[in-house]
Amino acid sequence: MVVVLLPSLLAAQAGGQGRFEVDAATVEHALRQVPVADLLLDETGELRRLVNVYVDGTDTRTLDGLHTPLDGAREVRVIAAVAGG
Amino acid sequence: MLLLAGTRKGLFLLRDGEIEGPLLPGWSVYHAIQDRRDGSLQVAANNFVYGGTFQRSTDDGKTWQRAEGLGLPEDSGLKLEETWHVEPGREDGEIWLGATPGVLFRSTDGGESFEAVQSLIEQPTRERWEPGAGGMCCHSIQLDPSDPDRMYVAISAAGTFRTDDGGESWAPKNEGVAADFFPEPDNFPEVGQCVHKLLLHPQRPERLWQQNHCGVYRSDDRGDTWERLEGNGLPSGFGFPLALDPQDPDVAYVIPEEGAENRVTADGRIGVYRTADGGATWELASDGLPEPAWGAVMREGLSFDADGGVYFGTQSGSVFASTDGGESWTELARQLPPVLSVEASWS
Repeated sequence: MVVVLLPSLLAAQAGGQGRFEVDAATVEHALRQVPVADLLLDETGELRRLVNVYVDGTDTRTLDGLHTPLDGAREVRVIAAVAGG
Repeated sequence: MLLLAGTRKGLFLLRDGEIEGPLLPGWSVYHAIQDRRDGSLQVAANNFVYGGTFQRSTDDGKTWQRAEGLGLPEDSGLKLEETWHVEPGREDGEIWLGATPGVLFRSTDGGESFEAVQSLIEQPTRERWEPGAGGMCCHSIQLDPSDPDRMYVAISAAGTFRTDDGGESWAPKNEGVAADFFPEPDNFPEVGQCVHKLLLHPQRPERLWQQNHCGVYRSDDRGDTWERLEGNGLPSGFGFPLALDPQDPDVAYVIPEEGAENRVTADGRIGVYRTADGGATWELASDGLPEPAWGAVMREGLSFDADGGVYFGTQSGSVFASTDGGESWTELARQLPPVLSVEASWS
């Protein structure tokens, strides 16, 4: 079991819930179980460019991206990139 | 009266002097309407991190349902970027949604889900379309009330397209519309025009108006040919918004800007220009509007309601209203985030 944590804008889109406990083998599997998966992944299944996902504090882009395994992981945290105005 | 003001930072509802909002905080509301069929609020909401969405509320904005899985077919090679315009359809549950990159979606279940219109994706001239500053946005969707098989879309910078066969095919309708950003003699191409807003007159549906990057135009033959209308009182042909009086096919409103290279309202004032003779002459209507002012009004930022009210919102966060056809104006709100769209409720 891993905890997926969402920022407040996404929590508002998920019915006010920003914390989800899911059983997942990979980051992608975890993200697909939260009700805002369509806001995290585009229609081709790729992670949106300005969405960052950390597994226990490590950016998954430095790991295996969406395929990063969650063996023993405790937390998947979604954070919007610092961008825009 | 309810006015929906979509802003760069959420949706605001203006009602009897009260301002409610922001609803959908953090979302850029490119367009918001109240569907007169069921009273629901329908919004093209975008976020630069999380993409383009359609969101709908059936409880006056307390809760929202997002159309899930909104996207383009993988074999199209296209990806949905932003949503721009919501247009209620003819049938129960039918909603049209215009989006970037030059695409149209249709819902038949009240906005729970949408399907991309494949025939527009496959429009044979697509490879010659170019994105404007706002991306290749499909921002205008107009249904012909006299013919269930005819409708129009307008895309920047591709131009106006019409279907006469219920969306099976789309034909460019840009004859006589300039594309002055191309050198002569290539400045009247078949496609590539930068239309900024297209409207059809509901009582005279063969009449269309468009505010274009290169002029204001009217067509009286369903877009087959267009007449350029600037001059005769208009300080500039460049602008974004357009509004029509649903009771009078000869009346139209525009808010010109200096030009493409200086996108502020013309002549150092926020000025609405009105024609009552089909565009032959235009008069400034600015009583009550700020001067000097260098504002900007976006393409969805001007609207007309069934009772003769005219409304617009500015990039500087004000919303103005006129109840006398533009003769005089009152500021309904100020210091909102930049206003992207204004629509009056029809309920």
